Amino acid sequence: MAFMRYIDLYFKLVAAGIRAQLQYRFAFFMRIVGMLTSYAGTAITMWVMLYQFQELGTWNFYEMLFLFAIAVLSWGFCIILFFHFRSLDTYILNGTFDRFLVRPINPFFHFMAMKFDVASFGQFIFSIFIFIWVSAELQIHWTIANVLFLFAAVIGGVLIQGGLLVIISAFAFWTTKSEQFYWVVMYPARNLTNYPLVIYPKMVQWFMAFVVPFGFVNYFPASVILGKETPYFSENIGYFSPLVGIVFFIIAYYIWMLGLSRYKSTGS
Amino acid sequence: MFNYRLYWTFAKKSFLRSAVYRFDVWSRLGSNVIFLLMWGSIWTVLYAGREEAGGVSFQAMLTYIVVSQFLSGVNGAGTPLWEIQEKVRTGDISLELMRPFDVPLRYLFADFGSVFFYMITALMPLYIILFFFMDLSIPNDPLIWLAFLFAAFIGFLIRYCIEMAFGLLTFFLVETGGVEDIFYFAMSLLSGSVIPLWFFPGWLASFASYLPFQGIYYIPNAIFIGEIAGNQIFTSIGIQLFWVVVTYIFLRLVWKKASQKVVVQGG
Repeated sequence: MAFMRYIDLYFKLVAAGIRAQLQYRFAFFMRIVGMLTSYAGTAITMWVMLYQFQELGTWNFYEMLFLFAIAVLSWGFCIILFFHFRSLDTYILNGTFDRFLVRPINPFFHFMAMKFDVASFGQFIFSIFIFIWVSAELQIHWTIANVLFLFAAVIGGVLIQGGLLVIISAFAFWTTKSEQFYWVVMYPARNLTNYPLVIYPKMVQWFMAFVVPFGFVNYFPASVILGKETPYFSENIGYFSPLVGIVFFIIAYYIWMLGLSRYKSTGS
Repeated sequence: MFNYRLYWTFAKKSFLRSAVYRFDVWSRLGSNVIFLLMWGSIWTVLYAGREEAGGVSFQAMLTYIVVSQFLSGVNGAGTPLWEIQEKVRTGDISLELMRPFDVPLRYLFADFGSVFFYMITALMPLYIILFFFMDLSIPNDPLIWLAFLFAAFIGFLIRYCIEMAFGLLTFFLVETGGVEDIFYFAMSLLSGSVIPLWFFPGWLASFASYLPFQGIYYIPNAIFIGEIAGNQIFTSIGIQLFWVVVTYIFLRLVWKKASQKVVVQGG
């Protein structure tokens, strides 16, 4: 079974990666502290912003925290699996990418399994803490259906954000740049979705729903769970998150493979 | 002796170097516009159609955000913090220590060059168009303009001193991760870059008023929209001048300690 072999291989490669990262315990610890601080910073900024105004549109502070925590949680998984894709350009420029091509496994898989960034504990601690706090404040009813939906939405979010990272890295096959595209596309897109999409002009909302589908990462699922209105969109649109994630990731995979075939043919 | 021509050359060189990396200019401008869109939308929704909130009109508030984004474009166009840290980590900075110039000043003048390039090719055209098409408040009094430009320049120097001193901490700490995030958070919130200090809770506003960060964005922005007016302008610029001196002395101290450390370790 090729599939089982790949799963087994993935965990072997990942275990080697984790051991390498734990060599530098202090750096590892500081990275987690750093992530916690910067997420807390965004949360405090939201709090200060709403100190006088109470609400951003129809969203109050706790609802915004909930929205933010969903994004942080799926970003945490995304860092584990896909974060190193953004530095594909360095591998290509240094010529170290070629080693992924000479082995008898799928290069996409091999590149993905190369790194397993365990420092995203910061994201998990933060988002779980927020979920507990906000659930009490907003009295969210956690039924089994709700929990399953949240779970599916997070998987969708991981695939959407991971898909975008994969597309960004594929740019490196054509332009030998990917890290810079990360800062132009991914970083602002993630910042935009920290706030409910409803505040943006219609064009931007539409763009974030159907072109770079980051709306499905947190805004649409959070609206379903919190029972918020999503003007311009059907109120059940959040249920499509997992499906959008799968489709978007498949597209991203094919773009990456297309770039790869181009890279091979240049023979550089 | 301050060798003016030497440092002027650094500014010119980095101006020319910026012209080569045009992709950087466009990508920076792109994310600047996205953050402008984000904060513009947030404040539009917070005001929710009200003419004024907390004594500040919506038009003035929107102008505050636009000016703030312009200034953060200016402040973000210099040598990035990680580049300095990387030089310290790899030891490349020791090469610069051997040369007959002052490293903090050399980077400041290099920043002048790259910032000037970014301003005339990207920021100015964009923001002139924005002011033309958006309903923003523009000061009529040329003296206000003068005060704003001066305050913005002093703010740039304060930001430079703090950021550079911070970058040099890499000499003493191997891992700056956690500290760095606190620094960036303080820089973005307490400087009033996205939320003006008058909307802060009282205790936080007075806390921020004892810190140098307000000089970077809050004071120039507030002068521009007329929230700081009359004699207050002089006091505010006085506060800025106080902080630029303090942060500069701090930078010199850190630099002295850091370069001594390099000598002791033999590079």
